[in-house]
Amino acid sequence: MGTFIQQVVNGLTVGGIYALIALGYTMVYGVMRLINFAHGDLCILGAFVGLSLLTGAAGSGHPGAALLLLAFVVSIIAIAVAGVVLERIAYRPLRKADRLAAVVSALGASLMIENGIMLVWGPQVHVFPAGLLPATTWHFAGATISFVQVMIILASLVLMAALYAFVNHTRFGTAIRAAAIDQDAARLMGINVNRVITSVFIIGPGLGAIGGLFIGIYYREAYFTMGWTYGLYAFIAAILGGIGNIPGAMLGGVLLGLFNAFAAGYVSSSWQDAITFGLLIAILLVRPSGLLGERVAEKV
Amino acid sequence: MRGAPLGGATGAVAGPVIWAAGLALPFALDSSWVSIAAFFAIYAITALSEDVILGRAGMFDMGHAVYFGIGAYVTAILNTTLNVPILLTLPLAMLLAAAAGALLSAPLIRLRGDYLLVATIGFNAIFVLAMQNDPGGITGGSDGITGIGVPSLFGLQLESQSAMFWLDWVVLGAVLLVMRNLDRCEFGRALRYLKQDELAAGTLGVDARAVKTLAFALGAALAGLAGTLFAVQLSTVSPSSFVFTESVTLFAIVIVGGQGSIPGVLLGTALMFVVPQIFRGLAEYRYFVFGIAMVAVMVLRPQGLLPRRRAVT
Repeated sequence: MGTFIQQVVNGLTVGGIYALIALGYTMVYGVMRLINFAHGDLCILGAFVGLSLLTGAAGSGHPGAALLLLAFVVSIIAIAVAGVVLERIAYRPLRKADRLAAVVSALGASLMIENGIMLVWGPQVHVFPAGLLPATTWHFAGATISFVQVMIILASLVLMAALYAFVNHTRFGTAIRAAAIDQDAARLMGINVNRVITSVFIIGPGLGAIGGLFIGIYYREAYFTMGWTYGLYAFIAAILGGIGNIPGAMLGGVLLGLFNAFAAGYVSSSWQDAITFGLLIAILLVRPSGLLGERVAEKV
Repeated sequence: MRGAPLGGATGAVAGPVIWAAGLALPFALDSSWVSIAAFFAIYAITALSEDVILGRAGMFDMGHAVYFGIGAYVTAILNTTLNVPILLTLPLAMLLAAAAGALLSAPLIRLRGDYLLVATIGFNAIFVLAMQNDPGGITGGSDGITGIGVPSLFGLQLESQSAMFWLDWVVLGAVLLVMRNLDRCEFGRALRYLKQDELAAGTLGVDARAVKTLAFALGAALAGLAGTLFAVQLSTVSPSSFVFTESVTLFAIVIVGGQGSIPGVLLGTALMFVVPQIFRGLAEYRYFVFGIAMVAVMVLRPQGLLPRRRAVT
């Protein structure tokens, strides 16, 4: 029973992070029908920006929590700017081109960011400074729950609720949903689609930067190829839930986190990724549009 | 649309002449360059095989390294454990790769483009993990399999780098012939119709499912063929040669070069596999510049560097 609860907590923590990153994939896909392969690398870039700030300010005597908050704010702003610039340079010129051109452009951007991180910060594994957050742990029915886990789970829930409210209950959120359904019709209704796309490239990478920093804080490490690994997981989460669907990305992230935790806890960890990808393929076969995706007929 | 310089009538003459001139490379280059030329030939075959599936049939295959890997592992396992001569493993490598391609794709080809792309990424990840985890003790785990023999032809051991290059180059020539014929035969036309408009192709009597599965099998078979050559060239295979990034590179070659364009795919192969070899000294900056170049090419030439000429009607 202790192991079970432990895996649930571990799974929810990782799942929350996956969900935050998956939202960036799903929002961009929803509006532009583009898999933004560079998204995972943007998130890890966020982790590195935050890491630099934290190590730079280490020993300055400021309380850890305040520094951490500052790191989050700076990293969110930096990555949102990077996201908007990325869209302007690499994706906007290709909006009317063959879809595959944008896919390869995204892959190129991913390579560029990943190796840019390596050139700036070096290829080694960076360790996140300790002692930023209370080392409090709670014991519950044989499971150990840390402060960091509680913080990540709560923060992910709050952020997801806020995004859900924003998209469903504000004027601008309605514009985002309209542009996702039909860009041309949305334009005819007076919606500035360019602004919607820019906003999606602010919100997605902004949430992604938080997810990236959470990864760094939770695993206490950062290295330049991390973007691919976690990006791929978050992307799978988005597909699981139905890509383009915001609640779907949240559900997919949490489910994938739980699934991974249990696969690692109860099955051999060397096959963990194979099981995850097997699940992905099975879901694609049974329900190609994901768990919450709508069954839409392919446009011809 | 601008025509490809090697397409059409000029291509019919220039292509074979360039290929024949290539046969003289071992006399003009030192052995390290001959080895790079041999790798070019191997990766060109793999990229052309990806073009069958991605460029011609329009199916988003981002796990093509799987079939390349199956070919390499079939040759490595048969040769090192059962002492099967290399060239005899070749048909089996192609056959098993083709079977894998057909079986894996059969349930998936009805999926929309992006979902197929994701599923093939999944296959690639599972394949690499399976090779690493060494099921049944036959794949050698992360270290892979070493000590693969040299091919022999009519009692002649193709041991030298030049001899291996000629083998690779001749096979590349044969694959180029297949690709050229694919442009003209009924099957190739069916692929083109399907890619342009599946619904219309259906009304013209094209069996979409059969044609797509066959395209997957053909692409996988050619990749398996390249895999055998790869295993021979390195005399060792390991999972790291068939990881997802290799599939991404193959995918990018076809799109950067030009879908369905033979000169485009060859140019793409040279840019993505040979140019990095030249700039080995700048290894650190290599992929950074690579990424920028991929974005730049797509933004400036979304159809690829040497797009396929518009089909003559």
